[in-house]
Amino acid sequence: MIQLKDVSYVRLGSPDLESAEHFATACLGLQIAERGKKDLYLRSDERAHTLCYSEGDPNHQTVGFEVGDEASLQEAASTLESLGHAVHAGSAEEAERRKVKAFIGFRDPTGNHIELVVRPERSGRRYFASRDAGITGFSHIGLNSSDPARDERFWTQVCNARVSDRIGDIPLMRVNAIHHTIALVRAPKAGIQHINHQVETSDDVLRSYYFLNDRRVPIVFGPGRHPTSGARFLYFKGPDGMIFEYSVGVDEIEDEATHRPRQFGFEPTSFCMWGAKPAGMALPNN
Amino acid sequence: MKNGRATPLITSVCYVRLAVSEPKVSARFVSDIFGLQRVADQNGEIAFRSDDRFRTVSLGQNPADGASIGIEVWDDVALDEIGQRLRKLGFAVKEATPGECQRRYVQSALLTEDASGNPIDLVVRPTRSGRRYFPPRDAGIVEFHGVGIRSLDHGRDLTFWRALGAEVSDWVGDIAYLRIDGLHHRIALYPSKRNGLLYAAFEVEALDQIMQNSYFMQESQIRIVQGPGREPASRQMFLHVEGPDGLIFSYVNGMTELDGKPRLARQFPLTAASLCDWGSESKDVPELGAPGQ
Repeated sequence: MIQLKDVSYVRLGSPDLESAEHFATACLGLQIAERGKKDLYLRSDERAHTLCYSEGDPNHQTVGFEVGDEASLQEAASTLESLGHAVHAGSAEEAERRKVKAFIGFRDPTGNHIELVVRPERSGRRYFASRDAGITGFSHIGLNSSDPARDERFWTQVCNARVSDRIGDIPLMRVNAIHHTIALVRAPKAGIQHINHQVETSDDVLRSYYFLNDRRVPIVFGPGRHPTSGARFLYFKGPDGMIFEYSVGVDEIEDEATHRPRQFGFEPTSFCMWGAKPAGMALPNN
Repeated sequence: MKNGRATPLITSVCYVRLAVSEPKVSARFVSDIFGLQRVADQNGEIAFRSDDRFRTVSLGQNPADGASIGIEVWDDVALDEIGQRLRKLGFAVKEATPGECQRRYVQSALLTEDASGNPIDLVVRPTRSGRRYFPPRDAGIVEFHGVGIRSLDHGRDLTFWRALGAEVSDWVGDIAYLRIDGLHHRIALYPSKRNGLLYAAFEVEALDQIMQNSYFMQESQIRIVQGPGREPASRQMFLHVEGPDGLIFSYVNGMTELDGKPRLARQFPLTAASLCDWGSESKDVPELGAPGQ
């Protein structure tokens, strides 16, 4: 079984790195770690980078997950190949561009581009935000799925993810104590549905709501509160239509052995207990 | 607050009585929309509960003896003392008749006005209810919390409230947050071009209820005059909503509790950032906004 430790980074293609940089710093509030020729590295926590914009097609979206060591990486590669997934062994140069020791790339059953990485770099300097959004770190992603039941099997049986809760047939899955690291979203094709950063307090969620509204950043859902994880949230739209989320107060699963996923009905109140309705953002549809 | 006494002179803001143009219309707002429990009418006044008190809001049509803010006084001895202090300072104070006391559901009272002409009832033994509070909808209201008052003469109004034992916790410009118990404030005086009640505030359980009520008001097409927001000075979260006749009712939660030690009032500038930490602004209620907003 592939032991995912945590989500490590997201890589996004963008035709316009300048707009991406403006949004990432002036709106989202991340710190620029490094500007390469064709890459923009952004920090959100103690890691050297957690988001990278690369000059290119915005449909190129990749999620990196950390695994324990190189032996686990080799084992993962054999497991995936035996299941019929084409595995790309990352070159030294590609690994350097990702600021990791080694990695492999493959596609999940829906076709999402996933990378498994070993020893992603940390930074010696603490994170210093470009605006006071209260970001404490990159935390999870929403991942498109053309068949949530099939993909749930992939993430929970081939990998070590566990279902924390379900809304309809949409699973929220964890790979560590945090309520969810991967939220599947029913969609016709592969892609990252949203990128989540945690913030310090619910004050930060509300402050950003007014701040982003003032700057005409489209707020697509919230401010609200998920009854599943308990998190207060705000979803808004960035460059190339990518949706970003701030949230705070995601529950931790206290007892791994006895936790049973709860079933929530597929209805608006299962996504927001405050009464927020999504606007300009599709809820995972049945 | 205690002014050297063993017990405080006043202990709470215990009710608001409002004179409205159409009591039935206002009553629907107060119960169906805002979420207070309507109780039996008396003497043409419609009354509401928000907690274990017998009533905290009443609506009447008579402006002569229809509108007032009730302040609970420790006992009749304290009431006497307040009466003497106010008279010495030149405020007119009148003992309430049995009829006036009955209309207020209190045992004894002094009726007075602050320097702006806002009727203030100083009351002893306001009536409590034996039945628990049961609201018409799940707005999460815990209790009647306090009031914002419009002030025409903030210097002299402060003299009035200080005579009752209130102390200024903080200033935003000349807006004064007045403390009468362990909380940052129960009464806030807002400089204004007219007198009257600015808002009546009701505490809800948590941020969840502030936000749920915010979405409920949007869906019910009720005007939110400010919020959801958070006062930086008191750390209180708020949502100010407007009912008929421009009446403002507020949901609040999270106000700072003070430890009772002597404390210097802090001065904040009269800017938007001093009035809301999150960034909400009031466009239409001048008292809630900062100049140039």
